[in-house]
Amino acid sequence: MTRTIRFILVAVVALLLPPGVGVAPGAESLNLFGWSEYIPQSVIDEFTEETDIEVNYEMYASNEEMLAKLFSGATKYDLIQPSEYVIEALVKEGKLEKLDKAQIPNLKNIAPEFRGLPHDPNLDYSVPYMSGTVGIVVNTDKVKEPVTGYRDVFQEKYKNRIVILDDPLEIVTWALHTEGLPPNAVTKENIEKVKPLIASWLPLVKVYDSDSPKTALLNGDVDLGIVWSGEAAILYNEDKKFTYTLPKEGAHRFIDNLAIPKGAPNKAGAHKFIDYVLRPEVSVKISKEFPYTNPNAEARKLLTPEERANPASYPPGDPKLDTFRDIGENAVLVDKVITDLKAQSGS
Amino acid sequence: MRQESTAFAHAAAGQQRPPGGTGWLLLAPLLCWVVAFVVAPAAIMLVYSFLRRGTLGGVVWEFTLDNYAAVADPTYFAIIVRSIVFAAITTLLCLGMGYPVAYLIGRASEERRNLLLMLVMVPFWTSFLIRTYAWVTILKSQGLLNSILLGLGAIGEPLELLYTRGAVILGLVYTFLPFMILPIYSSVEKLDGALIEAALDLGAGPLRAFARVIVPLTQPGIAAGVLLVFVPALGLYAVNDILGGGRVDMIGNVIENQFKGNARNWPFGAALGTAMLVAFGLTYWVVSRRQRAVEFGR
Amino acid sequence: MTAVHRLLAAWTGLILLFFYLPIAVLVLFSFNQSRLNVVWTGFTTEWYAALWRDTLLVRSLKNSLIVATATTAISVVLGTAGGWLLYRYRYRAASVLETLVFLPMIVPEVILGVSLLILFVVIGLELGYTTIVVSHVTFCFPFVMAAVQARLAGLDPALEEAALDLGATPAQAFAKVLVPYLMPAIVSGALMSFTLSLDELIVTYFTASAGTRTLPLEIFGRVKKGLDPSLNAISTVFIAATVLAVVAAEALRRRNR
Repeated sequence: MTRTIRFILVAVVALLLPPGVGVAPGAESLNLFGWSEYIPQSVIDEFTEETDIEVNYEMYASNEEMLAKLFSGATKYDLIQPSEYVIEALVKEGKLEKLDKAQIPNLKNIAPEFRGLPHDPNLDYSVPYMSGTVGIVVNTDKVKEPVTGYRDVFQEKYKNRIVILDDPLEIVTWALHTEGLPPNAVTKENIEKVKPLIASWLPLVKVYDSDSPKTALLNGDVDLGIVWSGEAAILYNEDKKFTYTLPKEGAHRFIDNLAIPKGAPNKAGAHKFIDYVLRPEVSVKISKEFPYTNPNAEARKLLTPEERANPASYPPGDPKLDTFRDIGENAVLVDKVITDLKAQSGS
Repeated sequence: MRQESTAFAHAAAGQQRPPGGTGWLLLAPLLCWVVAFVVAPAAIMLVYSFLRRGTLGGVVWEFTLDNYAAVADPTYFAIIVRSIVFAAITTLLCLGMGYPVAYLIGRASEERRNLLLMLVMVPFWTSFLIRTYAWVTILKSQGLLNSILLGLGAIGEPLELLYTRGAVILGLVYTFLPFMILPIYSSVEKLDGALIEAALDLGAGPLRAFARVIVPLTQPGIAAGVLLVFVPALGLYAVNDILGGGRVDMIGNVIENQFKGNARNWPFGAALGTAMLVAFGLTYWVVSRRQRAVEFGR
Repeated sequence: MTAVHRLLAAWTGLILLFFYLPIAVLVLFSFNQSRLNVVWTGFTTEWYAALWRDTLLVRSLKNSLIVATATTAISVVLGTAGGWLLYRYRYRAASVLETLVFLPMIVPEVILGVSLLILFVVIGLELGYTTIVVSHVTFCFPFVMAAVQARLAGLDPALEEAALDLGATPAQAFAKVLVPYLMPAIVSGALMSFTLSLDELIVTYFTASAGTRTLPLEIFGRVKKGLDPSLNAISTVFIAATVLAVVAAEALRRRNR
C-alpha cells in the first residue's frame, strides 16, 4: 500500500515538473528542427561553445513529419531542413523568412551548380545543406553485367533480388524518366501513361525500404537496388564491391536546405548558425559523418582524396540530374497509384 | 450513520449499486481524463475528416465528403481485410501459444510466479527496432537459422524466410504474445484448484476438465487477451515494413502515408481513422452492453 | 497431473527460448566490430565504452524510464479505479464510457499523436514530460482496466460481504480485500503499461520536446546512419540491470523470511 502511495507521489511530481526543465534561465537558445542524424552533435556542441547559444535539436524522419509539427505551432522553430520541393511550396505559401545575406557572408562558398535552381533561384530563402542523388547500387559480386539505367534494373532475371525506396513520388519519377517524359510533369495523364510500366516493375521487387536499404544489400538478400546516394556511399565505404551508378535515363538530385520559418523567435541566432555551418572546416566535418554530396565548394577542397573518390558522394561525369518540383494535389494521386499497384503485385 | 451505511453496503455487496454522490465523485477523474484526452482528440479527427487537404499538410476549412468517398475505394477495402486477417491469425496463434504459459504461471507458487512474469516481460524492455532487426539477422538467407539448418544438413539451400508473410506473422506474434499471456495469467491465478480437482475426481480426463471447466472460468481473461492483441495488431505496420519488406501495405501504412508521406492528405487519413474507430466503437459497445446484461442483469 | 505439468513446463521453456533468441542475438551483436551492425565481423567492447561518452543516448534512456514509471503509476490508478467503479456502480452510460476508454487503442498512433498535439496547442500546454506522460497514459490505462475487469468478472460477492460482516467500511473493504485480490491483474496491467510506454515511438514524436527525447526516438533517429552496436549495448545494459535488480530483490526477500 505504501509502495502504491509512493508511486502515485512520483507520478504527481513528474506531472508537475515544468516542461521547460533543463534549460538555463536567461540563456539564449536556438530551436533547430532537422533530419535525424543529419547534424553531428560535435558541430552543435562547438557552435554552443563559441556563441553561448543553447541549441534545442529536435529531429524528424520525413518532410511531412516536420511540416506537421511545425504548423501545429507547439514549438516555435528557428531553423528547419526541408528538401527542395518542400522549400518551393513553403515559399509559395509565404511560410519562410527572407534571409539577410549580410549576416551570411559564407554563402559565397556554395558551389555554382547549386545556384539558380528552380525552387529558390537566388537563395533568398534557403541555403543548401547537403545534397545527394537517387541511383543504382549493384553488388558486383553477384551481378556481373553492367546496370546503367532503370530498364536494366527491372529485368526478369533480377526478380526478387531488388530493393527500392518506399517512396511513391520517386518510383513515379523513375517511370517518367524511362518513358522519356519530363520528370516533374507529374500529371494525371502522365501517371496513367506510366502506370503499366510501374505495374511491370513492382512484382520484381523484394524489399521496399526508405529508412535503411543498405541492410538488405549488406545481408545479401538483394543484389541491386535504387537507393539514396548516402546509403550507397556507406555501402561503398564498407565494401568496394558495391558500385553506384546514376541511371542514364535521368536521376533525382535532392537538396536538403536550411531555412528559417516565418515568425522564428531567434532569427539572428539562426543566421549565425547558417553562417557557422557554411564554414569549410565545419562543413567538411559534416561530410565526414554523412558521405552525401557537399554543396560547399570550399569544404570539398578539404576532403581526403578517398572521400572525394567515392562515386556515390561525388558521381563522376556529367549526369542528367533534376530536382523535384512541388506537385500540389497530384501528390494524392501518386500515393494512390502506388498503393494500388503494390496491392496488385504483392504477395 | 456508520452502522447504517455499512448495513446498506452489506445488503448491496455482490450487486451493482446506483452511483450516488460517491460513485460520481470517484469516477470524476476518469471521466475528465476520457473527455479531455479521448473525446477531444477523437472529435478533432472527426472534424478533420470532413475538411479539405492543405498544400503543406494540415487542413483547409472547407466542408467536403470526398474523403469518405475515397475510403470506399475497393483497394482500401482489400487492405483493411488483409490487416484484419493478419491480426486475427496473430491473435489465434498468440492464444494457442500463450494460454499454456499463462496457465503454468497462474498455477505456480507465488515466488515462482513473479520470477516467471519478469522472465516473460524483460525481453520486451529492449528497443522494438533493435529486437526486430535481430530477427532480420536470424531469418536472413545468411542468417542464424539458415546457417544452423544448413549445418545440420536439414536443407540444401537457404530458406527464404525473410520478407515473407510468414516473417510478418512471426514478428507480430512475437510482439504481442506477452499481451495475451498477462491477462490470461491473472484470470488463471484466481482459479480454485478444488474445482479442477473435483472435475478430475468425477472422471473427467485432463482435456475435458480443461475444455469444460478451466476455459469457461478463464473466459474473461481470454476475452481481455484477445482485445489487447487483436486491436493493436490491426494498426502495427512497423513489423510489416522491417520483416515483410514493406511489399504490401497494411492499413497502418496507408494512414501513415497520409501524414508522413508525399500525400499530405490529413483529411483522408482522418476519414480512414474515423471509419476504423466507428467500426471498433460500435462493435465494442454492443459487446459491452451484452456482457453487462449477462453479468449484472438489467 | 505431473505429466501435464511437465508438458506445460516444456512448452513454457520453448516459448521463453523463442522470446530470448533475438535478445541473445542482440546481446551478441553489442560486441560486433562492424559499425553497421548487420553482419558479424569481430569482437570488441568499444561500444560499451562509447556509451560512457554518449550522453544523449543515456539521457534518453533516463527520460524513457521517468515517463514509463509515471505512466504506469497513473495508468494503474485510473485503470483500477475505472475497472472497479464500472463494476461496482450501475452507471447509465457504462458501456459508452467503457467504449470511450478503449478507443485510443484503435485510433492509429499517427492520428492520436497529431490530434493530441493539436489539443495541447489549443489548451496552451507546452510540450515536455507532462504531454508525453498524458499521451502515454491515454493508451496505456485501458490495458490495466481490461486486466482488472477480467479479474473482477465472476467475483465471488462473499468476499466483500465477509469483510463488511466483520465491520469494515466500504473503503476499508476496498483497500484490504479488493486490492489484494486484484493484485495479479494490477501487476499484469502495470507490466503491460510499462512495456508499452518504454517502447512508444510515434505518439511520442508528436508530443515530445527537444529536451525530453525518449530512447525509442533516439534509436529511430539513428536508423539512417545505421543502428550501431552502442544501441545494442544500451539495451543489454538495461536488461542486465533489470535482471540484477530482480535477482537482488528475490535474494533480499528470501533473507527476510
